[in-house]
Amino acid sequence: MSNSPATHDIEQALKQYVAREILDGKDIGLDADTPLLEWGVINSLEIARLLGFVREQFGVVVPLESVTAEHFKDLRALTGLVASLKG
Amino acid sequence: MDFHWSESQDELYRRALELARRHFAGPSRVWADHAFDRAHWDICAEFGLMGLCVPEAHGGLGLDALTTARVVEAFGRGCEDTGLVFSAAAHLFAAVMPIVEYGDDPLKAALLPGLARGAAIGANAITEGEAGSDAFALRTEARRDGDFYVLDGAKSYVSNGPVADEFVVYATMNRKHGYLGITAFVVARDTPGLRLGAPLAKMGLKSSPACSLYLENCRVPVGRRLGREGQGGAVFQASMQWERSCLFAGYVGMMERQLEQAVEYARTRRQGGKPIGKHQAVAHRLADMKLRLEAARLLLYRACWLRDRGEPAVAAVSLAKLAVSEAARQSSLDAIQLHGGVGFAADYNVEHMLRDSVPATLFSGTSEIQRDLVARELGL
Repeated sequence: MSNSPATHDIEQALKQYVAREILDGKDIGLDADTPLLEWGVINSLEIARLLGFVREQFGVVVPLESVTAEHFKDLRALTGLVASLKG
Repeated sequence: MDFHWSESQDELYRRALELARRHFAGPSRVWADHAFDRAHWDICAEFGLMGLCVPEAHGGLGLDALTTARVVEAFGRGCEDTGLVFSAAAHLFAAVMPIVEYGDDPLKAALLPGLARGAAIGANAITEGEAGSDAFALRTEARRDGDFYVLDGAKSYVSNGPVADEFVVYATMNRKHGYLGITAFVVARDTPGLRLGAPLAKMGLKSSPACSLYLENCRVPVGRRLGREGQGGAVFQASMQWERSCLFAGYVGMMERQLEQAVEYARTRRQGGKPIGKHQAVAHRLADMKLRLEAARLLLYRACWLRDRGEPAVAAVSLAKLAVSEAARQSSLDAIQLHGGVGFAADYNVEHMLRDSVPATLFSGTSEIQRDLVARELGL
């Protein structure tokens, strides 16, 4: 995945959302490779809210077939998904 | 806004109510505490109850969610055996609808005609000893082996389990993937490695049998997977939207019968020189039961209406489920209080409604889980 400025902005916005809305400011050393599913950061309740944030923030609807562990396992993967959907 | 039902909806409701009253009501017996009776199941199945919202092409009636709920409500009102209505609804909404919505065409063609007409019985198996409200923490595992998946694990509470032919089983293919690591399968009862525990003793819903389920090296053909690998969480949540709306219509019907019974008692039972309904304390209790019933019913209809329109309905469905289940439990307590000793005695078809209602605030997501879902939708 290229690390273009646009991609960097997406990753930062997603990171801020997860830190603020899901982790409530808790410091878990969140970075692009933090395993969000394995650590239970993203669960069934949070995923719907996260999809709503992505829709509002980036103007993209994540299709259901893309809601997979491969795309939500960490911020790097999620950033790649959003960047590809933004086209 | 229009609160009228169509003629065909009214006709379905009337026929369902008449059938339920004819077969499953009346003072001839206490209906609540008998065992599962396949003959009773077959009477409901012949009406079409087991496939109300299954497309006609697959042997169902092809009804939308609102009409489905209205028919389940009729059965709940007419049938004094709430466990029977619960079993039928659990079959339809938590086992059959996942196959309708997520099965591939060959699987649907193979299973749905039998399930939709009630010739085969479905069960949903997700709950585990360490995964109740935290359902997606389940530990039952599935691994791919050629054209099969191999399932290992244990399910602690499977409604319809003792009598089911097909089990919708949820297993994880990768625990590191959490919610997105879960996959759903349809497992036939006669699959080698599938074993059922003894029927569980329960407080209520006695005619709806339940048991544990054990899977040991259980080989399930790839074609029996529902949805994609990792989509099981979504499959389950879709089934819960059906249950939380349409299954709970049965409790709306039960509350209507309960209120009719309580009003009749209050009009005829005399104490202190007048019918007890003329005592304000009794009359107000009945007014509160009516308020609970009508409020819960409107929330339920609206949730179904939103679902039929394809609009977001998570909060509406949870509000409906919460309102119906809590109303059923509270009004069942009120009905006992109002009937006094007769309400406490087991021979008068009053006290069992409390025992049948307590589980309603537990299954399909507890009241606490529904409040969590509503809170999330509020942005909390």
